[in-house]
Amino acid sequence: MGRYIVRRLLQAVPLLLVISVAAFAIVKAQPGGPLAQYEGNPDFTEADRLRLEHAFGLDQPLPLQYISWLTSFIRLDWGYSFSSHQPVLAMIGDRLPNTLYLMGTVFVVVILIAIPIGVLTAVKQYSWFDHIVTGTIFTFLSTPTFWLGLLLIIVFGLQLRWLPLGGIQTVGAPFDLGDRLKHLILPVATIALVQMGGHVRYLRASMLETIGQDYMRTARAKGLTERNVILRHALKNAAIPLVTIIALDMPELFVGALVTEQIFGWPGMGRLFWDAATRSDYPVLQGILAVSASLIVIANLLADVTYGWLDPRIRYS
Amino acid sequence: MPRRFTLAFAIALVATACAAPQGTPSTTASTAASATAQPITRGGTAIVAIWQEPTQLGAPYGNQTVLGLVIQGTVEGLADTTTDGKYVPTLATRIPDVANGGVVIKGDKMDVTWQLQKGIKWSDGDPLTSADIKYTWELWLKDPKVNTRTGFDQIESIDLPDDVTAVLHYKSIYAPYPLNFSSILPKHLLEKEADVTKTDYVRRPLGTGPFKITEFKTGESITLEKNPNYRGAPEKPYLDKIIFKSVPSSQVALAQLQAGEVSAMWNLTEAQTPDVEKTAGLSLQVVPGPTVERIEMNTAANKEFTDPNSVHPVLGDIAVRKALLYATPKQQLVDKLLFGKAKPGASPVSQGWAAYREPQEGYDPAKANSALDAAGWVKGSDGIRSKGGVRASLTYTTTTGDQLRERVQQVLVDEWKAVGIEVKIQNQPSAVFLAGSCAAKDPRKLGAYDLDMYASTPSIDPHTTMLRYHSRRIPTQADCAGENYTRFKNPAADTAIDAAGSTLDLEKRKTSYATALKALNDAYVIIWLYDRANIDARVNALQGWEPNVWRRFTWNMESWWMKK
Repeated sequence: MGRYIVRRLLQAVPLLLVISVAAFAIVKAQPGGPLAQYEGNPDFTEADRLRLEHAFGLDQPLPLQYISWLTSFIRLDWGYSFSSHQPVLAMIGDRLPNTLYLMGTVFVVVILIAIPIGVLTAVKQYSWFDHIVTGTIFTFLSTPTFWLGLLLIIVFGLQLRWLPLGGIQTVGAPFDLGDRLKHLILPVATIALVQMGGHVRYLRASMLETIGQDYMRTARAKGLTERNVILRHALKNAAIPLVTIIALDMPELFVGALVTEQIFGWPGMGRLFWDAATRSDYPVLQGILAVSASLIVIANLLADVTYGWLDPRIRYS
Repeated sequence: MPRRFTLAFAIALVATACAAPQGTPSTTASTAASATAQPITRGGTAIVAIWQEPTQLGAPYGNQTVLGLVIQGTVEGLADTTTDGKYVPTLATRIPDVANGGVVIKGDKMDVTWQLQKGIKWSDGDPLTSADIKYTWELWLKDPKVNTRTGFDQIESIDLPDDVTAVLHYKSIYAPYPLNFSSILPKHLLEKEADVTKTDYVRRPLGTGPFKITEFKTGESITLEKNPNYRGAPEKPYLDKIIFKSVPSSQVALAQLQAGEVSAMWNLTEAQTPDVEKTAGLSLQVVPGPTVERIEMNTAANKEFTDPNSVHPVLGDIAVRKALLYATPKQQLVDKLLFGKAKPGASPVSQGWAAYREPQEGYDPAKANSALDAAGWVKGSDGIRSKGGVRASLTYTTTTGDQLRERVQQVLVDEWKAVGIEVKIQNQPSAVFLAGSCAAKDPRKLGAYDLDMYASTPSIDPHTTMLRYHSRRIPTQADCAGENYTRFKNPAADTAIDAAGSTLDLEKRKTSYATALKALNDAYVIIWLYDRANIDARVNALQGWEPNVWRRFTWNMESWWMKK
C-alpha cells in the first residue's frame, strides 16, 4: 500500500509537468495579453508598451518564460500579479478562505441530503417518492448554474426581498453571523441543487444493484432488521462509487465555483480566476492552474486509496 | 473593458423581464437636482455599486476608468477640468499661462511655473510641498511599471525655488501641460521605497482630497472616510463615508440599486435606462461624453502590412464612401438602439474648447444611389453593384459579443444592401480587434480590413486624437506606431495639425484643428456614428450630483449629501 502510494506520487510528477506546459501554452495563446487594457489610451505610446513588456518579462522567448516561472514556482515564489501587483500567493491566500467557506458548506449540504435521498429512492424504487425525487433531480441536473442562480436572485432577492442579491456580507456593516448565513443561502442552493443530482443518481443505481445481491437475502434471513440490512450491509457496499465522486469533488473546494461566484459577486477563487482570465494576468492564472491540477491528481489518488479501505477485495499492484 | 457575454446577456434578459414597474414613472434625466434650495444634512454613508473593480489604486500603475472614479476624491492633481472644458486649479493657486507669466516660451522649449496653495496637508497631516511635484515626476520617469510617461518625458528638469513653487523646464512646447500633473504623489511616504507597487500605497493611496481610503477588500468593497485634514474641512465633505461596492455586472448593479442595497451605480448602458426611469425613487444622470463611435473605411488595399499608397478596389472610390455615409441612418440608430441617450456624431472631437460639430451630410438613400450610378457602379441581377468586374462587396469588423454593436451592424448591412453595396460581418474578439499592436494582429494596424467600427475617447487636449489623421501616423510594417487606420493622406490637414501642435494659443489651435477635420470629413473616410453619453444612476435621497463632461460622476463627492 505504501509503495503503491509512493509510486503513484512519482508517476504524478511527469503528468504535472505536462499539465503545466499545457496550461502555460493555453494561457499564453489567449489573444490580447496583459497590455491590451491600454488600447484606447491616446497617451500610451509604443515606447510605453515596450517598457512594460520588459518590466513584466514578456519580451523573453516563451520557453525561457516557462522555465523561469517553473523554477520560481517550485521555490514557492509565484510571482506578482500584472494588474494588482500583489504576490500571487497572497492573493490566493486572501480568496481561499471565502471559497472553502462556500464550497465546504455545499459539500456538507450535498452529502447530508444526497445520501438519505439516494438510499430512499432505491429502497422505494418506482414509488411516487422515487418518481418525484428523480424527476426533480433531473430537472436541476440539467439546469445551467448561471440560469438557476439568476432565477433564485430574482425570486428571493428582487421579488420577495427575503435574501440579499449577492456578496459575502452586508457591505459596510460589522461582522454578523446571521447576515453571513443569509448571504450564504442562495449561492449554496445554486451549486448544491445542480450538484446533488449526480450524487443521488450514483447512489441510487449502486444501491439497487447491491439490494439485489444474494448476501442481502442472507442478512434478512439471519433476522436482521430491515434498517440494519440497508444501512450496514447495503449502504457500505453501495457507497464505493459515491466515494469516488466525492473525492473527485475535493479540488472544487479550492477552485471554487466559477459561474456561481461570478453571479453572486462572491470574493472567492472562482472569481479570482475569472478576473485574471479576462485581464490576461498570467502569473495568477498559472498559479491557480498549477495548484488545481496538483489537487486533482491528489484527489484521484485519494479516491483509489479509499476504495481499498472500503472494499478489501481491491488489491494494488 | 471585460465583457461578460453570455452571462450579461442572460441577466439582461431575465432582469428586464422581471423588473416590474414599482410606481409611476416620476423620474427623468435630471442633471442638477441639487440646485433646489434644501437644508443640507450632514453625515451618513453612500454606497456606490461599481461593476468593474480597480485592480489596484496607485494612479501611476493603472489605466481603468474605474480607478479614476474611485481615487479622484482622494488623490488630487495641480489642476482639473470644468464641464465646459476649462482648466481650473485644484492644488495650485492658478493655471499658469503665457498671459499671467506662468508660462515662458524659450524658442522651442518652455518653462511652466506652478504655485501651490499654502497650508495644504496630506491626510496624514504632513504638509504638501513643491518637492512632492518633483518627486511625482521622478517616480514616473524611473519606475518601469508606470502606465505612460507621455508628458513627463517632455520635462528636462524641475527647480524648486521655495516650498510652494515648482518651475518645470519642458524641452518642447507641450500644450497639454495643465493636466500633466493630475495625481500628486507623497514624497515623504514613498521616497525610500524601492518598488512602490509592492507597498500598501497601491491599496490605500495617501492623498490630499476630501476623503481618505481606509479599506480595500478585493472583490468586495473599497471604503472612503472623511479626511479631517482636508482644506475644506470642517465644512466639507458632507458625507462621513463612501463605499464602493464591487458587483459582478451592470445588471446586478442595477438590480441592487432597485432593491435599495446601494445608493448609486456607475455606468449604465442605454438599454438599462428605461428600467431606472420607471422605478420610483431613482434618478439618472446623463452627461454627454467625449466618446465617439465611428466607422472607418480602409482606403488602401485590404491586406496585412498594406502599402499606404495602394488603393482599395472598392473603397478607393470616393463615390462608394459617400454612398455608405448617405445610407447610414444615424438618427434612427440613436433613437431606436440607444434610447435617445446619444447624439449623432460629427467629428472625433465632440466636446471641449476644440469641439468641431459641423454635421456630416444626413441620411438620404436616393442620394447614395445617384452617387453610385454617376460613378459607374452598376447594379447586377442580385441587386449588388459592380464596376469594371469589381463587386461592391466589403467586410465589416467590430468587437464580438457586443450586443449594441451587433444590432447596429444588422441595421447598416440592410441599409447598405438596399443601395447595392454588399457588406459581410466579420467580427473579432476585442483582444485582437482592439489590440493596438501589429504583433497582436490588430487588423486596423495591419490594414487588413474594409470597414471597422469602434469608439475612442479624446482627452481635453485633442492633440493626440488629431494626430490619428496625420499622414505621418499611418502604421506600416517598418513603424507600427500610429492610429491613422483609414490611411488618410492630406497635406493641408498635416500642416494644420502640425501648426496646432506648435502653439499654445487655443484660438489658433482650434482653427487649425477645424481645418484638418474639415479636410478629413470632405474625404468621406470616416462615418461618425454617435457621441456616447456617460450614464449613472442614484437614489433620489442622494443629493449634490453635478454633471461634468470630462470627469466621471464622483468628481464632486465632497458635495454629496444624503437626505434623511
